Amino acid sequence: MRDSTLKYLLVLPAIVVVFATAIWPLFESLRLSFTVGRLSRPGSLEQYLGFENYLWAFLYEPAFWNSVWVTTIYTILTVGLTTVLALGLALLLAPGGRFRSGVQTLLILPFAMSPALIGVSFRFMFNPEFGLFDAVFGVLIPPLADVSWLVDPVLAFAVCVMADVWGWIPFLTLVLIGGLASVPQDTIEAAQVDGASGWRVFRDVTLPQLAPVLAVVIILKSIFSLKTFDQIFMLTNGGPGTATQTLSHYIYFNGMKYGQIGYAASVAWLMVIPMIFLTYAYAKFVFRRE
Amino acid sequence: MLGRRRKQVVNALQVALILIAILIMLVPIAWIFMAAFKNHIDVFQLKLFFTPTFENFGTVFEPPFFVGHKLMNSTIVAFVTVVLAIPIATMAAYSFSRFRLTGETAMLVVILATQFVPAVVIILPFFVMFRDIGLLDTRIGLILVNLAIVMPFAIWMIKGFIDGIPLDTEEAAMVDGSSRLQVIRNIVLPMAAPGLLTAGIFCFIIAWNEFLFALILTNKDAVTLPIGLALFKAEEGDLWNLLSAAGIIIMLPMFVLALIIRKYFVQGMTMGAVR
Repeated sequence: MRDSTLKYLLVLPAIVVVFATAIWPLFESLRLSFTVGRLSRPGSLEQYLGFENYLWAFLYEPAFWNSVWVTTIYTILTVGLTTVLALGLALLLAPGGRFRSGVQTLLILPFAMSPALIGVSFRFMFNPEFGLFDAVFGVLIPPLADVSWLVDPVLAFAVCVMADVWGWIPFLTLVLIGGLASVPQDTIEAAQVDGASGWRVFRDVTLPQLAPVLAVVIILKSIFSLKTFDQIFMLTNGGPGTATQTLSHYIYFNGMKYGQIGYAASVAWLMVIPMIFLTYAYAKFVFRRE
Repeated sequence: MLGRRRKQVVNALQVALILIAILIMLVPIAWIFMAAFKNHIDVFQLKLFFTPTFENFGTVFEPPFFVGHKLMNSTIVAFVTVVLAIPIATMAAYSFSRFRLTGETAMLVVILATQFVPAVVIILPFFVMFRDIGLLDTRIGLILVNLAIVMPFAIWMIKGFIDGIPLDTEEAAMVDGSSRLQVIRNIVLPMAAPGLLTAGIFCFIIAWNEFLFALILTNKDAVTLPIGLALFKAEEGDLWNLLSAAGIIIMLPMFVLALIIRKYFVQGMTMGAVR
């Protein structure tokens, strides 16, 4: 067989799978978003409404805006905290040596943990009667001694953020260590010889060199933060009330619990839009390397 | 002298910070490990010392929990997903790596982009379709949707590995009269084998930990381990010792697998954006 035919035959199965499992459902969701779309009423998946579901979300659903708000704050906090803390840890671990590379190996562990399990373990750690973190916070910050973390809206949200940051720091740290390794050592040494302080070296030499990797990390983490579902579902299930209800959870609830699949699809598509921008930015970084 | 002293202090401070970080990282995992060996009374106390018991690991396999059944579902679903995904991804990755295709960049971007589509968007139409054709609560249904999350990773990761294999051996074999398919089978596959294994393990972990699809598509027969965690809620509250035992069954095999492929973890997760 000639290469010119073979090369397309080789990619064909993969393209078929990607179309069937990702592209088709994406556009079928778009179609559903314009329908009445009730799971309990068979014909309603073909009953078209125009943009009514979208308008409904915008105009009559405070819960939708709540989940947009929750997701936004959640994304900003988790991306910011994870990146800063991971950068700090990466700087601590980057110099190498046996102890430090041993720690790097340990960093794999939280990442292999299923997010659902992370949710469970944080519910455990913040249990008011026998949660270890609950007890530790009580000792460190006395006003927090008697609070029920998962009952208070703000504190429950804080626990969700902590669980997310805990789960993601190891991975981001590993990525940033990889990035730091590619910063040319002689530039740093030259700056040190010139008498620049540690902070100056970091700000003027390391940080600019690290910028592309940092950008990748921030985009990737933003995408995962926006999609967050598993931990939240196991940790608070969106509660108390709707205090920790992210967009994914809101869509799940409307689509699966209330059977309003058309409405859920419209909100889901609203969520796709920021993803397109983030993916575009990410793809630019990936292809810049080619 | 003063400079050396200062250096020692800084170093000690750094080590202290690293130790605190490890502590924070390991404590929740260690806590689950401990709780799994506690009896149901000890678990309700902040005890560090207790008489360990293996009872929980037996209980979770008994009715009404049947963790064995979920373990089998998780294993079959993750394994079949990988077995389907890797060959398909390898073929595509080879072609992307070695040839210029019309619309190659577009295809690669689309494949990359599907990874970022929120899972809730994908699952709504699949739920409707599976309900109509009777694939709800089946392992086949779960395997099909899992392909959606695994394929992009597999293609990008394997492409990265094949990009790293030098062209000369292949070209030499072609000059000697081997066909392209022979070259792929006899030269590329053996050389890429460690990479394929790594990608396979990576995808296995992703499929094993997958949550949202299984939550929506299964309710009894095809329930996987992460969804099974929800079983341990009794009227009197969470059964933490059993929950922890099940948690260990979920995470321990993944820890082992992750350590095997630790060198490639970062590259896989970022789809080659960082190496």
